[in-house]
Parts: sequence; C-alpha cells; structure tokens
Amino acid sequence: MKLLAAGFSIALVASVLAPLVRAPTDDGYPLSTYPMFATRRPTTLTLDYAFGLAGDGTRRALAPRLIGSIEVLQARAILESGVRGGPSVQRALCDDIAARVARDVDLADVVELHVVTGTHEAVDYLVNHAPGQELTRVVCKVVR
Amino acid sequence: MKGWFADVPAERLAAVRILVGAFASVYLTVRLGEFYAVARLPAVSFDPVGPIDVLGGPLPPIVVLAIAMVAVVLAIAFTLGFHYRIVAPLAAIAALWVTAYRNSWGMVFHTENLLVLHLIALALAPAADAWALGPRSPAGHYLARAGYGWPLRLIAALTTATYVLAGVAKLRLAGLAWTDGELLRNQVAIDNLRKALLGEPVAPLATQLLEHPDGFIAFAMLTLAIELGAPILVVGELLGRWGTRLAKLWVLGAWSFHVGVVLMMNIWFPYPLSLIPYVVVFRPERWLAWLIARLRRVRGM
Repeated sequence: MKLLAAGFSIALVASVLAPLVRAPTDDGYPLSTYPMFATRRPTTLTLDYAFGLAGDGTRRALAPRLIGSIEVLQARAILESGVRGGPSVQRALCDDIAARVARDVDLADVVELHVVTGTHEAVDYLVNHAPGQELTRVVCKVVR
Repeated sequence: MKGWFADVPAERLAAVRILVGAFASVYLTVRLGEFYAVARLPAVSFDPVGPIDVLGGPLPPIVVLAIAMVAVVLAIAFTLGFHYRIVAPLAAIAALWVTAYRNSWGMVFHTENLLVLHLIALALAPAADAWALGPRSPAGHYLARAGYGWPLRLIAALTTATYVLAGVAKLRLAGLAWTDGELLRNQVAIDNLRKALLGEPVAPLATQLLEHPDGFIAFAMLTLAIELGAPILVVGELLGRWGTRLAKLWVLGAWSFHVGVVLMMNIWFPYPLSLIPYVVVFRPERWLAWLIARLRRVRGM
C-alpha cells in the first residue's frame, strides 16, 4: 500500500512541477507556470474601458459586474473583444452595459455611456492625478 | 521515504479534510452567481483550459449552473466524509471542472489551483477514517495501511511546488533583475490603474507605496525569499524542532505576503488567506476536537 501511496504522491507532485519544462508564459489550469507579476512591464497602459456620464457632466466609474463579469480581468476581456469587434459590436456592447446601468439604482443619475480606449501613465494617473488621452469608441444613451 | 510515511493520528488528516472541504463548499456556493454569469459571456470569449479542452464550445448556462450546484453538494458530502471513497474523487473532479470552466474565458486566474490540487490529494487519501458520517468499512480505507501522515506531506509538497513555480517563473522571465523593485512597482502601478479604469477599488496602500519606489526592493526580495523558501514546509518536519519552527515561520511569511498583495494590489487569494493550506504544519485536530466537544456540550444542555 505504501508503494501505491508513494506512486500517487510522486505522480501528483510531478504533474504540478511539469510546467517547469514549458515556456513560463505558456500558462494553464490547474497545472500553471504561475507567471503572474513576473514580466517587466511599461507603466503606460492603453486600455478599453467604459464610464457613465451623469446629467451634470460628472464621470461615474462602472463596476465590472455592469460590464458583464464580477471579475475585473474578465470585464477587461469583454471590453477588449467588444472594441475589437468593430462598430456594430461596439454599439451592442454599449447598449448591453447601458441596460445594466439603467437597472442600477446607485447610477440613477447616469444618462450616457461612453466606451473609450484610454492611454495613461500609471504613476501619473494614480499619484499625481494626471490622466492621459482617451479615444471615444462609442456613446449610447441610458434608457430607463 | 520513512519521513514521508511517518504516521499521525487519523483525526489530523480528517481535520484537514473537514477544513479544506468546508472551504471548498463555501467558496463554490459563494461563486455560484459568478459561474452562471461567466457562462453567459459571448461564445467568442470562450478559450478552454485544462479539462474544458474536451468541449467544442461553451455549454448552455443552465447546464453550467447545474454542474456547479452538484459540485457544491459533493463538496459538502466530501466535508462530512459521507461515502468518502466514492464521493471524494467525484467532488475533486467536479471542483476541477467548475473552476476550469470559470478560467476558460480569456483569463487564467491563479486563485483556485491550490484548492483543487488539495482536493485531489485528499480524494484518494484515507481522510474519512475519523470524524465522518455514513457507513465505513471496519478495516478503514485501503490506503490507511500506508498511514495517515503521507497525505499531509503530499499537501505540503503541492503547496511548496506552487510557490516554487511562481518564484522560478520570475527568475526565468526577468532574472535577478526582478529583485530591483522596479518591476514589482510597475506591476503594482499598472494593476491599480487598470482597477481604477475598470471600476474596481484601488488597493488601500497602492498610492502611498508608489510614492516611495525604494520600498519595492524589499518587497521584491521578500517575495522571492518566500516563494523559493517554500520547501521548508516539506523538509522542516524532518529537520526536527528547529525545522518545524522554520516551517511555521514560513507560514507566517507566506500569509503576510498574501495580505501584502491585498494591501498593494487588492488581489485576493482567498484560500491562502484562510490559512487552511498551511494547517498541515500544525495540529488542527486539537482545534476541531475542542470545537466538537463544545458543540456536544451545547447540544447536551
């Protein structure tokens, strides 16, 4: 029985260590190379995102669940594929998010939704409150 | 090999089963809404990983929800040790399937790997020879003849492997330059910017720390020390009292590291933060025995 237990133990640990022979960026699940936070990255980020505009012109951030996932990284993937899909997909994405915003009582003052591609320097944005540039992809009304 | 099979009470392994199973039960239950929401994402975002590779395309969301609910029931039965030999492997497979499906939409998370690996390790172990509900063979689990200690060492080895892999990935991708702190600072800055733009809260200490770049040198070195120092979790016990103390110190370091990740990046690794993956270096059966005695006393009143 010890042989069986040892065989099972070795097989499982070897499987988990097997990603060592893969390229570190070749990630998987549940056997991962765990490449998170390992690569050098520039601090300037270009990202697709959405925000709401209140009647008085105030910008309102939209939680990932309003984009379509409670996970921020999945929300990003939804926005990226929406923006990449061209004008008709962008419009559908905008209407989809606007419909969720319309049902959110905390965002009752939001009248317009913007999907944009923004480029910001991270430290400037977070520490010095100096945003970069934004390219508007699509704007849609929030219909209630 | 002798150290690997050094025996421990059946109650210790059972306590680890109960803790890991209870965590899985709560985790899968809390995530049910997310599993359903993810399943409704556009099919174009479907990018299968792991066992989900066998699918040609996404499943109907209602089927995904049904499988997730079955996974919850199996995880509860796993926790209770109910018909363990049959239920435990099914519970591990279900948890693997459900979490892999969630990871199959363009983003591989790293928050569930260890939980699933521990469920797999426990699934084939004699972890329900104590504190279990339902019928049991008088002779116990067939692998009980190898003792109750080896699954705990296997859990420690799996935990160790995941941390070492993360450390090795940093060295393979960035080399020793990873310790200069700039790379970590950039990751913290970019991750928090992304959160700010995507409507998530920025981490509580992010902006303060970003103003002091030199602090990231220490954070980077500590991160690598914890990740590459993880083998102490396995070998500590073999090195006697001091080894065990070092292993416990490593646990404190690893847990603090995850707390630091929350404070700097607002990224939550719920399983390590619960401390459950590390209980194998303690004696969790004492805590549970105390709890069971208290519950019995309350019921007797």
